[in-house]
Amino acid sequence: MLSEKAVVEINQIKSMYHDAQSSLLPALYVVQREHGWLSPDAVEAVGDLLNVPKAAVKGVSTFYSMFRHKPMGRHLIQLCTNVACMIMGAERLVDILKSRYGLEPNNTTSDGRFSLVIMECIGACGTAPAMLVDTDFHDNLTEENIVEILEKYK
Amino acid sequence: MITVTINGKKIALEKPVTILKAAEIAGIKIPTLCHHDMLEPYGGCRLCLVEIEKMPRLQTACTQYVTDGMVVWTETEKVVEARKGVLEFLLINHPLDCPYCDKAGECDLQDLVVKYGPATGRFAEGKRTHPESYDDPIIVRNMERCILCARCVRMCDKVQGASAISITNRSSKSFVEPFSGGEYNCEYCGNCLTVCPVGAIMSRLHKHAYRPWLIEKEVDTVCSFCGVGCSLTLQVRGNSIVRAVPKPGKGLNKGLLCNRGRFGYDYVGSTNRLDSPLIKKDGKLDRATWSEAFAYIANRLKKIKETYGSNSIAGIASGRCTNEDNYVFQKFMRVVLGTNNIDSVAGFAYAPAQKFFEGIFGQGVTANPMHGIANSDGIFVIGGDPTSVNPVLGLQVRAAHQKGVPVITSGYMQGLKMFSSKSLIPDTFTETTLLASLLTGLMKERPFCGLNSAFEKIIRDIQPVEIKEAEEICGITSKDISYAIDTLSVMTNPSIIIGRDILQRAEGHTNLLLLAALIYLLNGRIYLLSELPNEQGLVDMGCLPDMLPGGRPVTVDIFRKRYEEFFGVEIPSRSGLSLMEMIDAAHANKIKAMYVMGEDVVFNVPNTKYVKDALSKLDLLVVQDIFMTETANLADVVLPSLAWAEKEGSYTNLERRMQMLGKAVDGKGMDDWQAIAEISRMLGFDMDYKDSGDIISEMARVSPLHKDISYKDMADGECIWPYKGEPLRHGMSIEGIEMPDVKFPMIRPERKKIYIGMDNPLFHAESLSRNSAALHSIAPEPYVRINKALAHELSIANGDYVTITTNSGSIELSAQIDSDLPANIVLIPNNFDGKGVFAVMSWRMNPVIKSPAMDFTEAVIKKIKGAEVLT
Amino acid sequence: MEKFLLRNIENPNSTDINEYISVGGYKAISKALELKPSDIIDEVKRSGLRGRGGAGFPTGMKWSFAAADPKKPKFILCNADEGEPGTFKDRPILEKNPHLLIEGMIISGYALQAEYGYIYLRGEYPRAKDILKDAIKQAHDKGYLGDNILGKGIRFYLHVHQGAGAYICGEETALIESLEGKRGQPRIKPPFPVNEGFLSKPTVVNNVETLANIPYIMEIGAEAYSKIGSPDCPGPKLYSVSGHVKNPGVYELPMGTTLRDIIYAHCGGIRDNKKLKAVIPGGISTPILSPDKIDCPMDFVNMPKHGSMLGSGAVIVFDETVDLAKVCLRAMKFFEHESCGKCTPCREGVGWMRAILERICNGSGNEKDIELLIEVSRNIIGKTFCPLGDGAASVVQSFIKDFRQEFEQHITKEADKEIKAAA
Ligand SMILES: Cc1cc2nc3c(=O)[nH]c(=O)nc-3n(C[C@H](O)[C@H](O)[C@H](O)COP(=O)(O)O)c2cc1C
Ligand code: SF4
Ligand code: FES
Repeated sequence: MLSEKAVVEINQIKSMYHDAQSSLLPALYVVQREHGWLSPDAVEAVGDLLNVPKAAVKGVSTFYSMFRHKPMGRHLIQLCTNVACMIMGAERLVDILKSRYGLEPNNTTSDGRFSLVIMECIGACGTAPAMLVDTDFHDNLTEENIVEILEKYK
Repeated sequence: MITVTINGKKIALEKPVTILKAAEIAGIKIPTLCHHDMLEPYGGCRLCLVEIEKMPRLQTACTQYVTDGMVVWTETEKVVEARKGVLEFLLINHPLDCPYCDKAGECDLQDLVVKYGPATGRFAEGKRTHPESYDDPIIVRNMERCILCARCVRMCDKVQGASAISITNRSSKSFVEPFSGGEYNCEYCGNCLTVCPVGAIMSRLHKHAYRPWLIEKEVDTVCSFCGVGCSLTLQVRGNSIVRAVPKPGKGLNKGLLCNRGRFGYDYVGSTNRLDSPLIKKDGKLDRATWSEAFAYIANRLKKIKETYGSNSIAGIASGRCTNEDNYVFQKFMRVVLGTNNIDSVAGFAYAPAQKFFEGIFGQGVTANPMHGIANSDGIFVIGGDPTSVNPVLGLQVRAAHQKGVPVITSGYMQGLKMFSSKSLIPDTFTETTLLASLLTGLMKERPFCGLNSAFEKIIRDIQPVEIKEAEEICGITSKDISYAIDTLSVMTNPSIIIGRDILQRAEGHTNLLLLAALIYLLNGRIYLLSELPNEQGLVDMGCLPDMLPGGRPVTVDIFRKRYEEFFGVEIPSRSGLSLMEMIDAAHANKIKAMYVMGEDVVFNVPNTKYVKDALSKLDLLVVQDIFMTETANLADVVLPSLAWAEKEGSYTNLERRMQMLGKAVDGKGMDDWQAIAEISRMLGFDMDYKDSGDIISEMARVSPLHKDISYKDMADGECIWPYKGEPLRHGMSIEGIEMPDVKFPMIRPERKKIYIGMDNPLFHAESLSRNSAALHSIAPEPYVRINKALAHELSIANGDYVTITTNSGSIELSAQIDSDLPANIVLIPNNFDGKGVFAVMSWRMNPVIKSPAMDFTEAVIKKIKGAEVLT
Repeated sequence: MEKFLLRNIENPNSTDINEYISVGGYKAISKALELKPSDIIDEVKRSGLRGRGGAGFPTGMKWSFAAADPKKPKFILCNADEGEPGTFKDRPILEKNPHLLIEGMIISGYALQAEYGYIYLRGEYPRAKDILKDAIKQAHDKGYLGDNILGKGIRFYLHVHQGAGAYICGEETALIESLEGKRGQPRIKPPFPVNEGFLSKPTVVNNVETLANIPYIMEIGAEAYSKIGSPDCPGPKLYSVSGHVKNPGVYELPMGTTLRDIIYAHCGGIRDNKKLKAVIPGGISTPILSPDKIDCPMDFVNMPKHGSMLGSGAVIVFDETVDLAKVCLRAMKFFEHESCGKCTPCREGVGWMRAILERICNGSGNEKDIELLIEVSRNIIGKTFCPLGDGAASVVQSFIKDFRQEFEQHITKEADKEIKAAA
């Protein structure tokens, strides 16, 4: 289920901690990076590798909002709409994503290009509104530049 | 000394406790939902808020500890308001379906709402919905009703250790997402049912059939499944058991049960129960009256005794019968029939192991309180998985591990996988070498205590096995063996837990010696796993070929004389035959009659075909049982007995604690002891017991060990070793113990061959669970456990059907693949009609212990093509 | 004021260890390692440093508790979860000045005799993760981390641990649970982390900014440090300012700078010459203030006197165009989403408040809803397990207290409705 590379990486992560369960979050990240989401099989494999009960892994992985439990598009847009971003126009950006790409929160475009997740504060309030596309920060978003930015992600 | 004032009442306390506890001591009830006495404080529901003077905020009584001078108020306006508020919050998502909910009447939330009555209907938006789930056997979940107190999760994680339940998601979207069809390692102990305060987790067994107010009576008793002897309460309506529940804090199980104890009681009401005596006529068993049956048995026994002599008769007793039954049984065999040919399956491992250890360390050395396990400073487990053989004892091991106590396990043990500091899984049948290497290593680390120089000399002579050698033979890395040695060597009062697998070997006797040496070196406490509820009772009541009641050897004249004087009868001075010797002797036509009480010999003794042949050769086979077993099928006379919940009497658990059964319902059979007493009378020996109490008081006079014992002691719950009588011998000596050879062959099983072994599944209990629909709903199908690599090699996938063929027979089973099993052994349980492991397992007589060595049955495994047709 | 926490961040190579050293970095370590651990703790105590994570607990005192506990090993955890909406003050340190944090952690590790440190970094800062990892490696290579720090036989190991999107994990005990690979739900206190924290061992949890202050205290001494800013809670403070000001951003100013100065003197006032309507001074979970309160000094002591809190020092400025009812609703959605679900009032009550606000904002609320909102918030406040639920309820209360008309404007009175219908 897990690639050999992932297993090696997870075992490496384990050495950073004093007990195996502490490496659960980083290990789930490894899997999510590899597969784009946490499939039940992958989650189970992580549990086996770390000797953490399956139910616990499920409980933990669903507690955190950045773990994905269904497949995602090629690019993940994480758009903040919390207060600072909201008052700077974030909600209009949500509308644009809908009109331009047919993309709704917690959904993926039909071509599998983008997925959208609405975020709580992402720590870019001074340059609001802001989003993360995959792991890239983009801030000072406007109705115009958001499309320009997204067009770079194919 | 701490003084606190609660609602104006002053209480003095020795040590700080929570406000909740302090209030309870003061007789003041503070409402709670997430708190449960069996669990650690959680502080989640916020219902127990109280006002503490000088603290601005309300505090939760379940988490806040009292301090000296603290003044607490539990029913102020502020507190009541807060409680109302919390209840109102809880009802936001809790359905108002009390009329349909099975919990109504014993629901904590319902009770609280009735008492504090929050304003209703202010929450206008819709409730969270979630369909009721029947994904699991036995358990039905209705998560709409869940109030997220997390009691079930904490019970499952921290106490049961199954970790099958978790809260998933967060915020008001949280759900308790457990079990799911066995997928999550659920052990179906149902301990979550005990703690769920609402109707979110319920038993399917009495869905919509159970209403708390319909219960007519409650009967306290002990469980009938294994040697732990958990206390439980049977709730009865009419003549049927509605539910078995543990009482929090009660008994040695302190409110915990395993799946068998909680759900398995339904065998009592099974439609397969025998309801009439049967006598074989023209090869067919026909219904008969009790007096016909008694007369028939008495006459035939009399004739056989006259013709062939007393020793042509043999008796098999049962660890499922009470002490009273077993006492009367051995008395009947010895005093009335005049033979010491008495044994049971306890003679396979439990009794010989106990005898060996007692011989060295003194009588009672295996009688240790179960709670000692969690309180020891190290644990070594070998020969069986305590979490499946004796589940509630197994929890002690888990608890110890969670406290940080090192646990070393030897052998394949699924239930301790997450709870061992080191799991050593030696190659098939190489435990002797592993044990010897551990001993060799320990001898370098630990000095002898000098208490028993004769035994020390024997230990010194034991053939040493160096780690490297063990590594090569057992397939365990030197690192792991050294780790085990290092860990063991620093233990000062470890618990050594021993299961039967290690003894039912050709090297069983050697293993006993090695274990005894280990125990001596480590100063360990011994726990023998026990599959039957009264296995210890069998031993103590004298249902052994060489022991009288109270563990007195029959061969020692003074003991035998006392016994003979008591009854005014002479009995043989030589030991009788062991169970396997009886089978052999029956085969050889030397045993002519066999009296079997409560044991399915055909099913529970290896090599079914051989056993059947032996029993078929008998002139007379008498079987007392509650079911028409395979053995009963071969009998000349069958007598229906009463089941555990239908009778009075006592069991002795593996701690040697004597506990009383409670009679909950009426049965159609007769007490085993009573049937025997009737036959005895016909044979001219009066046994005029009015009730089981009479038997216990006679037994207390016959057995020096049980001097002055009474039902009252048992009812008080503290009838525990060494009772009030005299143990045979305290202290150590090795005189008279048959010692195995201290030089032994280092067995190297061929890695290419496949052997069979017995699996001890958690969800079944020997042959008894065959008649529990409840337990069958959890684990419906027989299986063979196969190592992953082997399965791969044979192209067998999980669930595929395979045939297992040995020189004793052949069975078809579905495969369960397991990566932790050694590659060249497959495990088959012995819990399914016609598909038990003994159908294919052969055995050899262990010449010293006289019990069956069950190792080295070779098997051929073949995948069945087109397997679907089989189901 | 001369910058310390943000010194060098304009430098495009600020994350390079050599650049950091060239402006005086890693000097404090050499100084600290000359001292006895207990002397460092005393120095920090005397400096008056109070934690920058929001609660303002005296850092030296916290350290001395952990140091006094004999259990081993000990841990120092850096709280880099920065989840409080409106807060982005730790980010420049993490992304631009990571060595300052690392240096602070090494010193605190030595002071506490803790050999292991973890930076619990929020999942939303992926760039910071790479930067920190790289900086740790550099520090390692230079001998500031590892088995034998600066050849003095002192050991300290530092790792970055990435959170995964849970605001509650900023709460220190939830952070520890999360670090242990569990659901991030707060623990019962006591025992406090200083005695039973990560893996039940003595653990200090400090905010990024708090730890970044340590080298400064070492550098200029407790005496000089305690003279900066407010006397009761001295030192430099990072304020993150967002919303309708001309120049939003992170400002390093003396603790106790007034809100007015922050908004008008440093951030250039309100954008587009609009009027100031309200300020949230310390992040979303601190009560909102009306413009008449902006002369309050922004510190741990004075803010509560004006009905709010310093929190993380995250100032969100609202001009007259903002619909505060909608802001309140958005804040409540946040709290509902982030409630860990452990305790009843927060799990159930916050969602209820959100539902009421939602119907008010979409025009289907009625006159009684504001009262109901107040009542629900009262049933939450003071009754939750941790401050998250409390925060949510006090936010609602503060909005209604000073800005009730903002809610009322969404509610058409029954009488008016009838008139409308008739028309
Ligand atoms: C709900 C909640 C969220 C918190 N979030 C953060 C946070 O994101 N960052 C932080 O440093 N402290 C946060 N805290 C405060 C921490 O619990 C803790 O007080 C702090 O990390 C201690 O560090 P300090 O003493 O250096 O301030 C939060 C507290 C609560 C109750
Ligand atoms: S207030 Fe309660 S539910 Fe909310 S985050 Fe804290 S513990 Fe969790
Ligand atoms: S509110 Fe959007 S980045 Fe902070």
